[in-house]
Amino acid sequence: MTTAVVGSSLLVDLLSAPRPAEWTSLREAAELRLAGRALPATRDEDWKYTDLKALAAGAFGPAPKTTVDISGHLLPEMVGTRQVFVNGHHAPHASCASAVPAGVRYFPMSHASEACHALGSVGNGAAKGLFEDLNTARFEDGAVILVPKNLKVALPLHLLFVTKAESPVAVFPRLLVVLERGAELELVEEHHGEGAYLSCPVVEVHVAEGAVLRHERVQRESPEAFHLATLKAEVGKGGQYHSRTLSFGARLSRQEPRVRLAEGAEATLDGLALLDGVQVADTHSFLHHAEPGATSRQLHKCIVDGRARAIFNGQVLVAKGAQGTDAQQQSRNLLLSEAARVDTKPQLEIYADDVKCSHGAAVGQLDPEELFYLQSRGMNADDARNLLTYGFAADVLTHVPVASLRRSLRQLVMARTQAGSLGDLA
Amino acid sequence: MLSIRNLTASINGTPVLKGIDLEIKAGEIHAIMGPNGSGKSTLGKVLVGHPAYEVTGGEVLYEGRNLFELAADERARAGIFMGFQHPIEVPGVSNAAFLRLAYNKKAEAEGRDELDPLEFDDFIHEKIKLVSMKEEFLDRSLNEGFSGGEKKRNEILQMAVLEPKLAILDELDSGLDIDALRVLGDAVNKLQRPDRALLIITHFPRILETIQPQFVHVLSGGRILKSAGKELATELEDRGYDWVLEEAAAGGAR
Repeated sequence: MTTAVVGSSLLVDLLSAPRPAEWTSLREAAELRLAGRALPATRDEDWKYTDLKALAAGAFGPAPKTTVDISGHLLPEMVGTRQVFVNGHHAPHASCASAVPAGVRYFPMSHASEACHALGSVGNGAAKGLFEDLNTARFEDGAVILVPKNLKVALPLHLLFVTKAESPVAVFPRLLVVLERGAELELVEEHHGEGAYLSCPVVEVHVAEGAVLRHERVQRESPEAFHLATLKAEVGKGGQYHSRTLSFGARLSRQEPRVRLAEGAEATLDGLALLDGVQVADTHSFLHHAEPGATSRQLHKCIVDGRARAIFNGQVLVAKGAQGTDAQQQSRNLLLSEAARVDTKPQLEIYADDVKCSHGAAVGQLDPEELFYLQSRGMNADDARNLLTYGFAADVLTHVPVASLRRSLRQLVMARTQAGSLGDLA
Repeated sequence: MLSIRNLTASINGTPVLKGIDLEIKAGEIHAIMGPNGSGKSTLGKVLVGHPAYEVTGGEVLYEGRNLFELAADERARAGIFMGFQHPIEVPGVSNAAFLRLAYNKKAEAEGRDELDPLEFDDFIHEKIKLVSMKEEFLDRSLNEGFSGGEKKRNEILQMAVLEPKLAILDELDSGLDIDALRVLGDAVNKLQRPDRALLIITHFPRILETIQPQFVHVLSGGRILKSAGKELATELEDRGYDWVLEEAAAGGAR
């Protein structure tokens, strides 16, 4: 049965852009899966609360090569470890990887595609998402990070994906991170932009046995942007993947982190979304405890103001035989206005019997006891409210490892929670 | 400094304070003692404006002003401080930033200069010595994950930072070991001056060996049953509260 579907023309238009060179078979496979498909609609359970009509109504052309001023985005700890992509194209003049330790391979895919044999291989067997396939079909370039066995990288790496859209464009940022056995890395991935555009990033992560990746993800897209991100991580035996996804920008954003844990692996999937106006931020996470003895921690926080809307769907799958699984999930939400809305749903599927799984969801206003405590120390009601709202968000930032990033994120949170009048809390 | 006259208060419609009279002058240390559920903590919370309690009658004058015309934060800026029995945890807000903010709000209200982060750093390092607090507690989130004793230490640190005229300390000794109690008791004594007053709320007389009151009041059933000098605390330690209650019952039947 075929019916005219809303948004089908968007996909056709996006795919009518010329197919970039390289990875032809990957791209062809993605195109095949996309053939005849339409944008998800709210009747799809996974998209029930996230309406893509506004996206479907848009027309996004290919993104031209251009330059941007990135001076405002540089962080002192990472000036010599940055790769910058503008409109999906590598920006060599804005990048500087001179401080990256020897042994680490860190470059644009376009420079050494033979090093990218792992591309597209994470989560083989699982169905690929529509926006993931779109990315695969049309990404121009991306970053590759390969950390060899047992190398512990002392400096964090900084990846900046910047979009400058003079007219509406579509960009497909791509990132492949491979940590070999026992390797360790801190990675900061940021998305910035101006104008109206669609950004569909895909991040693939391989963490081998005993390796540790700490991954900070900052989404500060323009207020007119759509940001539909896919993250796929495979964590080997005893490996660790710790990520924190911070969503500040975009009119509509969706994060789909999907993490598979092998025996004894550990994962953290923390998230923060700060929303106002008519913003929509959706997180659909999937934690797969595939083998015994893995641990996962998930804290997802949203502050929602205006008529904005936050969605959280936290799926945890404990496979048969994954005994000794320890999974904890918390969804905590603060509503700052009558018209703000949060839909939060844990989704636990447990097929093993010796497991420790917990989840909790809270949606509400500030705690009167906390407000009173601050007032009893001389803060007026407004200041107390602003300080608590700031603290609610800043809680997620406490363990951001890069000091200058932590500070700039706290300042951003201060500005967005009206805590700016309280002096420097960062 | 503080005049409490026939004060009555209730929570959720249930009367808890049933007519309290108490006069506290500058330079004095008073102790309110009593069995659990007597209304001791309620008295403290009513004085600092906790929203859960409703004042149903009587009056309280603080430095000649009607206390109940002031909001909780105004009372704090006017020099009233309560060290809580169960201090609240505030994740995400560093202890140092919170202390600086509280200090500056009060300085602003008093027309004094505010301190910038560097100046405050020097200031707070003097203060944490007073309560023997480890420096790492300044960078941690306010009270988050603090033990009961660490929270109490942090309350007295806040008192040292804010230098209140009237400090109300609710069950300071709960959760404290003997050594910590002595340190905090000494700190409170150092902060006491002729122009300041202290109201110690406690179930156990132990703390009154370090912070010695001139006046001891026994509160029970929402009323002050007996007031005397500090020897009353010793007597309560020896004999418990029952005899005071019995004596009051006999007096009430008179």
